Amino acid sequence: MGIGRSWPEHLDPIVEEFSECFDSMERYELLFEFAKRHPTPLPPDEWEDENQVHGCQSRAHVVCSVDDTGGFLLRCGADAQVVQGLMAVTAIAVNGMDPSAVAQMGPDYADAMGIKTSLTPSRANGFLNMFRRVREEAGKLV
Amino acid sequence: MYSPHAALIGGRSFDQCGDDLPLDIEAIRADFPILSRRLPNGKQLVYFDNAATSQKPKCVIDAMSRYYEEYNSNAHRAIHTLADEATAALEGARDMISSYFGTSSDQLIYTSGATEAINLVAYGWAREKLGKGDVVVLTEMEHHADIVPWQQLSIDKGVEVRFVPIDTESFTLDMDALEVALDGASLVCVVHTSNVLGVRNPIEKIIEMSQSVGARVLIDCAQGAPHERIDFDSLGADFIAISAHKMAGPTGIGCILVKKDAMAEMGPFMTGGSMIKRVTMEKSTFQDGNAMFETGTPRIAEAIGWGAAVEWLNQFDMGEIHDHINDVASWTAAQMREIPGIKIYGEPEREDSSGAISFLHESIQSLDLALLLDEGGFAVRTGHHCAQPLMDALGVPSTNRASFWVYNTMGEAEAFIDHLRYIVERFS
Repeated sequence: MGIGRSWPEHLDPIVEEFSECFDSMERYELLFEFAKRHPTPLPPDEWEDENQVHGCQSRAHVVCSVDDTGGFLLRCGADAQVVQGLMAVTAIAVNGMDPSAVAQMGPDYADAMGIKTSLTPSRANGFLNMFRRVREEAGKLV
Repeated sequence: MYSPHAALIGGRSFDQCGDDLPLDIEAIRADFPILSRRLPNGKQLVYFDNAATSQKPKCVIDAMSRYYEEYNSNAHRAIHTLADEATAALEGARDMISSYFGTSSDQLIYTSGATEAINLVAYGWAREKLGKGDVVVLTEMEHHADIVPWQQLSIDKGVEVRFVPIDTESFTLDMDALEVALDGASLVCVVHTSNVLGVRNPIEKIIEMSQSVGARVLIDCAQGAPHERIDFDSLGADFIAISAHKMAGPTGIGCILVKKDAMAEMGPFMTGGSMIKRVTMEKSTFQDGNAMFETGTPRIAEAIGWGAAVEWLNQFDMGEIHDHINDVASWTAAQMREIPGIKIYGEPEREDSSGAISFLHESIQSLDLALLLDEGGFAVRTGHHCAQPLMDALGVPSTNRASFWVYNTMGEAEAFIDHLRYIVERFS
């Protein structure tokens, strides 16, 4: 992680790709693409009350665990593509990281991607609630 | 009487406002400063979320500012000049609002909005009058504000709650089912106009049917009042709930209109200052009439703002307003039906529809669609619209909703259709 930012270096190309979008419609289009290529999606048949993230305007669910190597594993799903896209980017960021590092990570990559400027505070709260949930779950896995 | 509203209506005095003025939409738009704003992305605002709340004309904003700038004081509580002016303005607004709704001021109880108005009936009337074995009839179309208070009453008092279903083909109430549900009913609570479907229910018929079995009737007019002139005394309902903010007034105020004999059956709901006659260490006695139900410092600025709003509305023929809204909504709905993947819930083209278009796209989720519309400057609502039983009946968790009011134009509707087509082509 660099100075003044908390996301891992392997997320830099994605952050750059979003920040270089011509306008917010292009940014949404890119987010929709990331939603389609989510690395670790949580299928709807695993969406349950206990893994639901509250505060999102759409349905969103996260399941956190550690993989065979002890790295963090985030599986998540949402019905809205915007939220699913944000979750996909988050999964790319945190999967494989040490859970203690995930527990310390901030949501500033969304800012750098220009996502927060596309989402009003109440909508961003949905993302922040999801991110907070991931961080809390990571803390439990330390 | 002191009138804070005089000469505030865009240079037009209330006395000079006649019902014969033609509807000049551009002049109307000029009364709403917010309609000229641009969003942070530079897009011109197109406000299609009027069923959630309407925008406010300058005369309403000015009336409220003038109260705070010139005569802010607590009402009903002192003899100094400012208190006198504030009290006169508060009660003057009550006179104007009750007159607008075709009734006397002593039948109007100020509330925070339609939700509190319905709760006031549930707590102030139903808890006094109803008990185990009594029946309250609702419909599947109701807003949560007209469902949850009755469910709570059912839990607390053993009252039976019955729901009248809708016909999901015509999006109208099943009137045969209503007739069955009315058997033994004590209270019938029906929404005048659905906030989701825009459907205007046959409330005159419902009132007649309900009263023929001896039931009291509550009509939720939160959506109806912005679209037609509600005449309480002529309509004959026992209770009518209204929110100011959907009809050009400020948020935080509404009212319940109550028939005199029904009010006589009510007990206090919220208690405290103002609503008492005498308080001793042992007990309290209460004011008579509507004063019993208004405790604490009144919503003075809000009442004054609402008074200015009804003055503003009073210059128009509500039938013309309805026709204009219906024209825009009908055209928009017809265009939307041509866009691949769009499904409309309701029949906005019907003559009595109130200009709300609930819709979904088959592959673009409602939150995504609302965000993408917002990027074009179009404010629409997404969600369950506080009507989850209706969503269940429609078989969807949420919808998008575009809802129109007097200041919306056909040009805005055309721009909306263009942007919606663009979204569907690019994102579906």
